[in-house]
Amino acid sequence: MALPERFQVSRNTLLVDRAMNRTIRFGGAAVIVAVSGILLFVVLQILPLFRGARLTPALVFPATNLSNSPARLLGADEWMEAPFVVDDAGIFHFYHLSYAETNGKTYPALDRLESVRPDVFPPGETPTAFAYDQERQEIALGGPGGRFAILELGYAADFSSERRAVRQGLRTALRSTLGKPGAALSAVAFGGDGDRKLAAAIQPWPSGPELYIRSFVKSRSLEGEAALLAGTEHELTTNLPSPPVRLLVKKQADGLLAILADGSVAYLAVDDEGATLRQIFTPFEDLPEKRVGNAEFIFGDVSVSFVSAAGEHRVFSLYARADRDNLRLFGRTKSFAALSGAAGWSAHGIRNKTLLLGEGRKAALCYTTTESVRWRGELPVATLRGILGGKNDKALFLGADRNLHLYDLEDRHPEVSWTAFFGKVWYEGSAEPKYEWQSTGGTDDFEPKLSLVPLILGTLKGTFYALLFAVPLGLLAALYTSQFLSPGLKGYVKPVMELSASLPSVVLGFIAALILAPLVENRVPSILLILIFTPAAAIAFGALWARQPARSRARIPAGWEFAAFAPVFLAAVAAAWLLGPPMERLLFTVADPATGARVADFKLWFTHATGLPFEQRNSLVVGFIMGFAVMPILFTIAEDALSNVPDSMRSGALALGASRWQTAIHVVLPTAAAGLFSAVMVAFGRAVGETMIVVMATGNTPVLDFNLFNGMRTLSANIAVELPEAPEGGTLYRTLFFGALVLFAMTFVLNTLAEILRQRLREKYKNV
Amino acid sequence: MSEHPPPSTGSPGEAWVWFAGLGLVTGLAMVLGLLAVITWNGLGVFWPKDILKVDFKEGSAAGIGGAPALLGELIKTQERKMGQAPGQPLPMEWQVFTGNKDRYGQMFKYFDAAEIASHSKPAGVARVERLEYGPALGFPRSLNQDDGGVLPATDATFEKKLREAISGQRALRRDLRRVEKNEIGAVNARIESLRLKAKRLERNPGDPAKRAEIQRKIDAAQTEYEALSARAREIRGRKSGARLVLALGTGEESEVPVGQIVDTWRPNDMNAAQKTGHFLAAIGSYIVDEPREANTEGGVFPAIFGTFVMTLLMSLAVMPFGVVAAIYLREYAHQGSFVRGVRIAVNNLAGVPSIVYGVFGLGFFVYVIGGSLDRLFFADRLPSPTFGTGGLLWAALTLALMTVPVVIVSTEEALAAVSRGVREGALACGASKWQTIRSVVLPAAAPGMLTGLILAMARGAGEVAPLMIVGVVKLAPELPIDGLFPFIHLERKFMHLGFHIYDLGFQSPDSEAAKPMVFATTLLLIALVVALNAGAILLRNRLRKKLATGAF
Repeated sequence: MALPERFQVSRNTLLVDRAMNRTIRFGGAAVIVAVSGILLFVVLQILPLFRGARLTPALVFPATNLSNSPARLLGADEWMEAPFVVDDAGIFHFYHLSYAETNGKTYPALDRLESVRPDVFPPGETPTAFAYDQERQEIALGGPGGRFAILELGYAADFSSERRAVRQGLRTALRSTLGKPGAALSAVAFGGDGDRKLAAAIQPWPSGPELYIRSFVKSRSLEGEAALLAGTEHELTTNLPSPPVRLLVKKQADGLLAILADGSVAYLAVDDEGATLRQIFTPFEDLPEKRVGNAEFIFGDVSVSFVSAAGEHRVFSLYARADRDNLRLFGRTKSFAALSGAAGWSAHGIRNKTLLLGEGRKAALCYTTTESVRWRGELPVATLRGILGGKNDKALFLGADRNLHLYDLEDRHPEVSWTAFFGKVWYEGSAEPKYEWQSTGGTDDFEPKLSLVPLILGTLKGTFYALLFAVPLGLLAALYTSQFLSPGLKGYVKPVMELSASLPSVVLGFIAALILAPLVENRVPSILLILIFTPAAAIAFGALWARQPARSRARIPAGWEFAAFAPVFLAAVAAAWLLGPPMERLLFTVADPATGARVADFKLWFTHATGLPFEQRNSLVVGFIMGFAVMPILFTIAEDALSNVPDSMRSGALALGASRWQTAIHVVLPTAAAGLFSAVMVAFGRAVGETMIVVMATGNTPVLDFNLFNGMRTLSANIAVELPEAPEGGTLYRTLFFGALVLFAMTFVLNTLAEILRQRLREKYKNV
Repeated sequence: MSEHPPPSTGSPGEAWVWFAGLGLVTGLAMVLGLLAVITWNGLGVFWPKDILKVDFKEGSAAGIGGAPALLGELIKTQERKMGQAPGQPLPMEWQVFTGNKDRYGQMFKYFDAAEIASHSKPAGVARVERLEYGPALGFPRSLNQDDGGVLPATDATFEKKLREAISGQRALRRDLRRVEKNEIGAVNARIESLRLKAKRLERNPGDPAKRAEIQRKIDAAQTEYEALSARAREIRGRKSGARLVLALGTGEESEVPVGQIVDTWRPNDMNAAQKTGHFLAAIGSYIVDEPREANTEGGVFPAIFGTFVMTLLMSLAVMPFGVVAAIYLREYAHQGSFVRGVRIAVNNLAGVPSIVYGVFGLGFFVYVIGGSLDRLFFADRLPSPTFGTGGLLWAALTLALMTVPVVIVSTEEALAAVSRGVREGALACGASKWQTIRSVVLPAAAPGMLTGLILAMARGAGEVAPLMIVGVVKLAPELPIDGLFPFIHLERKFMHLGFHIYDLGFQSPDSEAAKPMVFATTLLLIALVVALNAGAILLRNRLRKKLATGAF
């Protein structure tokens, strides 16, 4: 259909139109995709948290020189650059590995092998007992005649040649004896730092094995050289109900555990005086197979893992036992899924509470804090020993095939699990499982406590008190404004309320914390009175007014009641403020423990009466100010919903003789109910996400109660406080992202609900 | 709702109407009360307060170091809660600002009202604002000049001489600042960039001549630096050694170097007009000055500037995207359940907590984008990050993301309000779709879009929580815009009024001394936000009226 040229659209216009069409379609869609990309990004940041541990084979190399003698120890340095095996003859075989990096991946290779025989014992004598402390890189050797020595293993990086090389050095830290001469030691254990060490050994005699301990304390000789000097030796066998088999010494050098032949475990506390038997317990008391197959301290030496001869796996921790006069004793805190048999060997990580266990071809990587098995699987060969790299990024196994198997281990966030986030976790030193948030601590062996429950509860607590305040006030104000207020005034009232919706929350937080909190602290009774007086005054005044003859009532035009009420309101507030202290003297008195006199102090009374703490920056203040922060938005939405109820309905009700209050309550309110509910939802969402007020006006302590007079820590405040300090990509960083996602989800669900309700309402009005 | 029937006698529920009125009264009382408190306290900071001389009763130990009297500004009187005997009425105590922190170790003094024998407002007391240690309060005794001459305060020319000395020193400080900050700063920046160039050359060695050339330039800049610092030393050498001798309220004398004095005035001798003049001048200098003494004194200019630049950048980022998305949703997209879903989602994003945007901004903008930028373009400066840490750009983008739903929603509303007839008229005249939108729809919707932008700006200017994560600092050494190339430094950290309030009120070592400053900043921020919002509301109302009367 050919148009005359003058009717044809110019080519230029068409081109521009088409170009803009595309640009806007693309741009608009891109903005929407980008905005929803937020959610995707946050989720992507969180996903690594829930990834289990992964072991990937990296290198297999022969444990040459190991001949046929069994390996007694397997050890590794921090970077897994020079792992070593100690054989039966006491010879250290170091396997120097190098890591070539290509395309971001590292490829390990065996460089060279060095064998060292430390000359700690007289020629011809070989060690008979071995112990290894990976954290301090120390090795204890026990030998014939009760000889005992501790070797220090040092690693130094050497840059003299082209490539970085690691050189090891073995140094004898101390030589001593344990037990009586004449028999070789069958087991040794040691613990402690450079200033104080505790060593223990078992010496087999025909009469039965005997247990000896000896402390070493650093002291300076006259030349100023510091050395560990041996203290008195103690023989402890008489204390024990059954012969000792295996020993574990705490790294604090203040106690040891002796695993006994009958499956019981003796906990002995050691001080300068000697050792005292604190506790005898049987880890697998309730099972037919009571014998302990494997025992290993968890990093920090507060918890110990036991595997029974039948493969049951349990963890015992030192904590103040309520059932034992609050003594710090071992009690069972965790159990893991049973292994198939007694663990042949075990090793613990020196970064966190990881534990590596092996039996035959099976191996398992456990994280004890959260009671989770991070990895479990079969290795290609049966393993004799295993060890974790110092950074928990490598694992090395000595196989029955006389090969060493190096694995890359990836387990960046072992602390995290659903249980850790939402369940009770039994942390070390605590008397019971708890919900707790404490992300950082002062010591290396600190367990991050990442329960989100106190934060979510804190969020709900703040929101609850805020809504308790905002919902009645906001709804009443909306009802009054939409139904009773004179239309002329409405034009001023609404913008004022809307303006207050935009007050920056940092301002409200400042007001709450620095002005309101000190004011309220000493005037709680007055505040309580205000809460009673003002509504009472409103109703009483209203009732009184309604009784007056119409002539005098006409003096206040309808729609101006609130203005007439304002002075009454202020008077009620003032009266309550002044009457607070007398009421405090009347009702809230406690006996002063010093003088016995009655002291009127609500704070003391509250703590006394309920046993709950009273803080200056408490939920009352936060609830009030946060309520104030969310009330305007609640008011605006509710007022809109009420105002939009079709006039025909109101007129109908009024025409049928209903009073204006009856119309408002029985006709308007039910019609707009969905809108009011949506207003509450939106306010709820706002209060949930409010950050600065909570950061400023509470103590930010994670709590689990709904006490009005202490603070809380909310999800949002937690992010604001901790995220600036959280290292990128770390567990805390990702956990805070998870918190943000929870927050996002909470508000998104609430807002969607509110929005859908509002749309429904709109449909409904359309049909009226 | 247009008219209310008058309440008939005995109409049920009248009392409850009053009860409903309670909600409105409380809400309004709180809003107005809060604004009143902030305005009163915020403006009160600048009003010159009278200085009281308090004489204590004979033998009272309430004074500073047991002194029988003190000079101070009355901050408040309150009931003393601590240490009273049970059953006794609470004693009243005074809180007085004494200043002279260098002498007294603190600036506030509390004492029981019962200890006071008398108090008066002596004439001649001066308040001396200093660069360090906060203000000094005392009676000026004399001006000990450089040449050893002593000019007693009774001399007729004393006031004039003192003012001259102070303004001379102020000019000196300005000179010094210009040399140290601007000129030496520029040279330093040049040396730094040359060093980076040298470092880059070292990594892939090639042209030795080039390296020598750079070295030569560095040396030249170094010489320039030496010359400038010599000049700075010379200016510093001109600093006057003159001292103002004050007789403090506690009896002793204190010397204040004139070079340390920012300003001095005698509040007790001022009349209302003088006080008003001083009040206005104080507000002015608060707005244009830099902060002193860990932000507790001086002005807030860098914070105002930072807030302004950040909000501006945010608006630049949010406006095109928000408008394009809204035009797409309203004019181009097929109006089905998908668009409805998107609309609900966008609405909801406006309600997502700001801190969530902060988290995203840190993770995505700072670490992912900023980290990549650093690796690509600023590898020489690594490991110290350039864009891989919080900064102005990332803060603006984060807030833009946060406010984009606000702009989308209000633009969409404005577009929807343009009547169908107008569009159809344009189309019927032969305009293409884009021509209709550009020439008819957008101009009609412009006020609505502007409302959205203003609301977004108000929200952005008042928001603090996400900024704490993505780049705001308590004290930025440099402004984000200055005379050094490339003039706008998007990677720099910046100061912000909202964060200033948080930091002063909660992180400051002396929160009592910081309180006036917090109030002033709060008032400023509220004024800014309220002005923006009121503008938006007015604009919206005008728009509604215009649409209601039916344009065209």
